[in-house]
Amino acid sequence: MNKWLDPSSYGVLFALAVIIVVSGWIGVVAQRAVSRGSFLKGFFLGNRGLGVWAMALTATVQSGGTFMGVPSLIYSHGYVVALWIGSYMLVPLAGFAFLGKRLAQLSRRTDAVTMPDLMRGRFDSPAVGLATSLVILFFLTFMLMAQFKAGAIVMKLAWPGNADLTLSEDGAITMDAEYYTGLVIFTVVVVAYTMFGGFLASVWTDLFQSVLMVIGVTIMLFLALSAAGGLEKATRSAVARIDEQAAVAKIAVAEFDAAKAANRELTAKEKDAELLARKNAKDSGVAFVTGPGMGRAFLPMGLAFSFFVVWIWGGMSSPAGVVRVMASKDTATLRRSVIVLCFYNLLIYLPLIAICICARSIMPNLAKSDEVVPRMALFLTNDLFGGSFIAGLILSAPFGAVMATVSCYLVVIASGVVRDVYQRIINPEATDYEIRRMTRIVMILVGAVALIANISPPAYLQALVVFCTSGQAGAFFVPLVMACFWRRATKEGILASMGAGALTVLVLYATGWTRSWLGYPDPGIGQATDFRPYFLLGIEPIVWGIAVSGIVGIVTSLRTPPPSQELLDRMFGPVEPAQA
Amino acid sequence: MPEPQDDPIVTSSRREAIYFAVLWLGTLIYTVGYCFAHGYDRPLDASLEGMTFVWGWPDWVFWGIVLPWGICTVISVVFATFIMSDAPLGHDSSGDGDDGESSV
Repeated sequence: MNKWLDPSSYGVLFALAVIIVVSGWIGVVAQRAVSRGSFLKGFFLGNRGLGVWAMALTATVQSGGTFMGVPSLIYSHGYVVALWIGSYMLVPLAGFAFLGKRLAQLSRRTDAVTMPDLMRGRFDSPAVGLATSLVILFFLTFMLMAQFKAGAIVMKLAWPGNADLTLSEDGAITMDAEYYTGLVIFTVVVVAYTMFGGFLASVWTDLFQSVLMVIGVTIMLFLALSAAGGLEKATRSAVARIDEQAAVAKIAVAEFDAAKAANRELTAKEKDAELLARKNAKDSGVAFVTGPGMGRAFLPMGLAFSFFVVWIWGGMSSPAGVVRVMASKDTATLRRSVIVLCFYNLLIYLPLIAICICARSIMPNLAKSDEVVPRMALFLTNDLFGGSFIAGLILSAPFGAVMATVSCYLVVIASGVVRDVYQRIINPEATDYEIRRMTRIVMILVGAVALIANISPPAYLQALVVFCTSGQAGAFFVPLVMACFWRRATKEGILASMGAGALTVLVLYATGWTRSWLGYPDPGIGQATDFRPYFLLGIEPIVWGIAVSGIVGIVTSLRTPPPSQELLDRMFGPVEPAQA
Repeated sequence: MPEPQDDPIVTSSRREAIYFAVLWLGTLIYTVGYCFAHGYDRPLDASLEGMTFVWGWPDWVFWGIVLPWGICTVISVVFATFIMSDAPLGHDSSGDGDDGESSV
């Protein structure tokens, strides 16, 4: 079909345009809301007024990955991914009940606008504030670059007639005029609405796309189950199809081997077919419905344990999430957020697993597993009235997710530079007007740098995103727990804990990358990537990072002089500091 | 020396954090343990004889993940409704910007 005549593409483009317009409108509305009170607290913290829905659906939801990464893993490795993501059953309590109330209280007692502010005030130490700020800036900058590239790619794919629906970072995305147009539109839109509405614009777009996502998943669940004849039938059919496919692939592999033995040069198309055949030949239907997973040992015991740590303890220490909890209106908001998020997660994750199992039965031959949600959306809505627009909405969810993530990082980075560097160090007497101007300058600069960096983006940025998430958790989880609950924690202990956690993760990743570069064989566990970390004893680096950070933090705190009683009274005592 | 007195939010948060940590550990042991015992390296043939399905889910996925997910949801709702306590979070020491008007 002529690429400009494919109606499904226009549905996506239209849905994308709707998202862009809504985001712009959100930016303007948020700008009105933040203009009340002081600029800093309004722009960077929404005047501490986050309500239940915004808190529940934006503080902990790993939205970007949900629509891109998880479905691909289910399609490739089978039911074991349900265990990989299983700890999400406890994320609502982890996000709001474990540290939530104390972080919200401490942020008020320290008059904090940012997470570095909070750490600095809690330990009465500019060094702790600066270290927190630097670690956040370091990791978030990498994350931001990756998200800009992802945003540009989604825009490029939405262009009418682009049959390729993959969102893979490493795949065959060519850097052409469509990519650059996508990059510029994406950058301008996201920087503009974030600059207008700040923290609230970022939270509200996040909320908007979270709602879109749950609507999309619910529609798809009903359509997928009905198309596959129920989940059990889908599972049995998927198993049978995988086995058939493996048998065919084994014959194809034998033919390719024979061709190679006869010194026949394979064409580029044949080489792709050979890769796919070799991959499919290793699959087995039974492995799809049992652990540790199909294709490779995706989730051995050590990693199954690790992911109960990663999603729970890692997720709650992300600076973007911490800031949102700090912005909570009151404790009732945190409690109600637990309830809302419980039901939201139930509606997203288990249905997503069922949808992707159905997909394996309905479309067993996808060459790129990360196309599973877009392809299913197009397939299932093909005969429906308004199907193109429904598919468009589902397909535009990743774009909304990426925009929300970028916007959130922009706010955190700008707050770090403006509050923790400009206001604290360069110009302590800065007026509201100067801070406002500096914020805009920083956001435009960050947008420009990200745009320039993505003109020729490095490959494998997705691996960097995983590394940064782990690094942040290694650096911040233990210090946050110590800050909230332990009177004996000292500033030296926090600094040591932060450094040791981040360094442990860094060393394990660097070791893994070096081994991969030196040609050591793939250990065959976890996700397949060249940028794999070193799984010491088969366990994720984040677990080691948190363990080392904990030991170093406790030992250093106990070996250094305790904090002053006056500071402890201010942070733990029942009497509030004198009210202004 | 008298024990230092903590703010009610500190004591309630600490108690709730301990409850949560115990719940996390229990869920981890049950879920990972059950799935490992019943879902890993299971001797099955292509007809999946020996595997039962509960509400469409393979047995080990249902008993090891879907059911605990449901139970955790109930526990979380009970926890948030009856165990987590409310208390004033206080005001910013600078006293501004705490109007909460922008809530959604």
